[in-house]
Amino acid sequence: MVGLAAMFGSGAMTNSINDFDDADLFLVTGSNTTEQHPLIGSRIINAKQRGAQLLIIDPREIPLAKFADLHLRHNIGTDVAVLNGMMNVIIEEGLYDKDFVETRTEGFEQLKEVVSKYPPKVVEKISGVPAADIKKAARMYAKANKAMIAYAMGITQHTTGVDNVKSCANLAMLTGHMGRAAVGVNPLRGQNNVQGACDMGGLPNVYSAYQPVINADAKKKFEEAWKVEGLDDKVGLTITDMMSAAQKGELKALYVMGENPMMSDPDTTHIDQALSNLDFLVVQDIFLTETAQKADVVLPAASFAEKDGTYSNTERRVQLAQKAISPPGEARPDWQIICEISKLCGYPMDYKSPADVLKEINSLTPSYAGITYERLLTNHGLQWPCPNEEHPGTAFLHKDKFTKGLGTFMPCEFKPPAEMPDEEYNFMLTTGRIYYQFHTGTMTRRVSILEREAPEALVEINPDDAKKLGIRNNDQVELTSRRGSIKMKAEITQRVPQNVVFSTFHFNEACVNILTNPAFDPVAKIPEYKGCAVKIRRCA
Amino acid sequence: MKTLAKKDINKALGIWAQKHALLAPTKMDNGDCIFSAYDEKAFTLDYKKPPLSPKSVFFPHTEVIFDVANNQYKETVTAKKSLIFGLRACDMMGICQASSFMTRDKEDIYYRAKHNTAATIVMACPGAQNETCFCTTTLSGPVAKEGFDLQLYDTGDSFLVEVGSPRGEELLAGIPLSDLDDSRAKVQMDEFKQNAILTMPEVKSVIEAMNMLKDKKVAEKVWDDFGAKCITCGGCAFVCPTCTCFNVYDQQLSEGNGKRLRAWDACLYGGFTREASGHNPRVSQAARLKRRHEHKLLDYSSIDIQQGLCGCVGCGRCSDYCPVHIGTLEVVKAIAG
Repeated sequence: MVGLAAMFGSGAMTNSINDFDDADLFLVTGSNTTEQHPLIGSRIINAKQRGAQLLIIDPREIPLAKFADLHLRHNIGTDVAVLNGMMNVIIEEGLYDKDFVETRTEGFEQLKEVVSKYPPKVVEKISGVPAADIKKAARMYAKANKAMIAYAMGITQHTTGVDNVKSCANLAMLTGHMGRAAVGVNPLRGQNNVQGACDMGGLPNVYSAYQPVINADAKKKFEEAWKVEGLDDKVGLTITDMMSAAQKGELKALYVMGENPMMSDPDTTHIDQALSNLDFLVVQDIFLTETAQKADVVLPAASFAEKDGTYSNTERRVQLAQKAISPPGEARPDWQIICEISKLCGYPMDYKSPADVLKEINSLTPSYAGITYERLLTNHGLQWPCPNEEHPGTAFLHKDKFTKGLGTFMPCEFKPPAEMPDEEYNFMLTTGRIYYQFHTGTMTRRVSILEREAPEALVEINPDDAKKLGIRNNDQVELTSRRGSIKMKAEITQRVPQNVVFSTFHFNEACVNILTNPAFDPVAKIPEYKGCAVKIRRCA
Repeated sequence: MKTLAKKDINKALGIWAQKHALLAPTKMDNGDCIFSAYDEKAFTLDYKKPPLSPKSVFFPHTEVIFDVANNQYKETVTAKKSLIFGLRACDMMGICQASSFMTRDKEDIYYRAKHNTAATIVMACPGAQNETCFCTTTLSGPVAKEGFDLQLYDTGDSFLVEVGSPRGEELLAGIPLSDLDDSRAKVQMDEFKQNAILTMPEVKSVIEAMNMLKDKKVAEKVWDDFGAKCITCGGCAFVCPTCTCFNVYDQQLSEGNGKRLRAWDACLYGGFTREASGHNPRVSQAARLKRRHEHKLLDYSSIDIQQGLCGCVGCGRCSDYCPVHIGTLEVVKAIAG
């Protein structure tokens, strides 16, 4: 998000889900689309059947790979090198969109200089992808009329996450696959309202619609609207920062809503210590999560079916959800809990309803100005930017110019992951989600059929590695990193390449984040969930 | 034959609602129509095929089978006196087939209890609701042949009222009705039916596919191709009027207290047939899809299909809602070539 914002002026999917029906080529990277965004995955499969091309860059043989025209299985964490290699070929062979580069962008010379260091032969050495495949991929992507890039956490959850995103954006701008229908750079958001949470300023550095807290005008605007003085004009802490501050005793209290860091944050042994070190921990959630069990106060929240409000999905579409059943017991919608807490803290918030809250959002958030409750009642949502009540919403961004004017190329050099396998910890562990479970399992592990389909953590091991280690399918194995050790069953599969193992963070019986490395991207502060060094042994 | 004036329909529904949990076509704020608790303001006669069949009246998505309190087991059979108004012939056939299956040899008491207390008023179908309707091929519409308590034929300003059971006769008590000469009514009913049939020509690939399955002439590639596409959402089973598979599970509330429940299941999930050893006789998605469609088109019970053609009632919902286009219509087309 930070990467796209710097280059284009806004950090969100540039295009729309419907665009998947019209594109000629998809570059899918770091996204197990059919399992994590199955409806978008279905559109890609349907598109393949009408003749579209599919290019996948992913170390794992994800289910979508069987439809791919070309699948580059690069070494984990070498995304920048592969994308630079493609751009190298595109520039060398004159396949870039000269008109677009000249009229819509700046910084081409710098890009050219950096990617000139990444000819396919060099990239082959770094990434393990044959030079010929890099050339082929570059030509396919550059020559397609309407090519969409779709990516997810496989791109962002690295110490070079921002660089990876920037490289995707460089590639799209270089080839003019921007500012039209059925093209663009499309980060698929992993939760139903993570886009909305960001849009609303659920970040340490911005108010809603990414208005910076350090901007004096923005500060004044919100002080006037909220009738207060002295809003903090310093950037706050990210989750990663908060945890280390808690560990050091610099952070005293934490209020966690709908988040389960005891399962979802890297190096959970340290997270446990950090949370224990707090003077006061409040957790607001629908179930007693692993994190809530450590809380001083637990505030029961209403589930999605028990409240009214809006969600902003991956394609920037704000949609209304209406209450179907009443919350059980003392549970209440989050907004009511927050208003009540605020009142007790001495600042009465007297919103009467979610419609009331949205009215304030409309008045303070330029991109949401026209997305009113009344309009949402009669349609299937509106895509921001939607600056006024007559505006139909925006299907794709950056039409005639980028939000920030000219798009800026931001070339990146390849940097390896923070922790590479060595003699002792000789495997690369990469993590993710599976089809049947969601995130830390707070909801899905309570569903009988999902639990039947995927009842326990498995670690995927390549057959050649398994043979060497004497591990058979379903054997109990122990995975150990520098941070801890867990046991789970082995699944012997070609899905992972040699020297790589994969597991998920859904299961508290074997929480993979005990192993993961808390090293993070210096800008976005996102941890490197996608690669850390481990060793494996078969349990006796 | 009796007729009911259209202007009196809300009066009739009001009377029925007094003694029944009445489900009727309901227009939602966003324009969708579903079967929902009767509400005069949201009720509509201008509806197409509702997204879900009314099977959950008999077979709820989730239901408690028994409770355990202080280590004492107590069976829980729930049923309320319900009335489904406005269902189409395809859904009526779905209910007939499912109830035969659920009560024929081994009585499913949970299903039976609800089936015994649920009345049905079919709205004879005026014709194809959308491009996926094929009840004329599966012999399950456009007009219901049996199973209903009442069936209404829309003739403009009024409905012809066909009585299908003694319970249907009782439903007419207190309803403002008029009389129409039986022979004239029959002419109108035949004409209604013929007009509806004209909108839905027979889908030959359904018959061809059934024959090819019987003759074992279907290439495995058909299933392999669909298997590669299927995203295992299970939606086809959930929207299907004749799918009644369920999973049983327990919820322990505390030591000695809890409940056993059952919930909708789908044969497309790997765990549906996975054995305790980990072995799965239907190991691939292709094998699971093949089994599902063979169950509807080949391996159905001749008793359970009632007066229909096979285990599919031609409502077309699987074709409407499958995100990757693996509905019955797409499958038979791929088989028949």
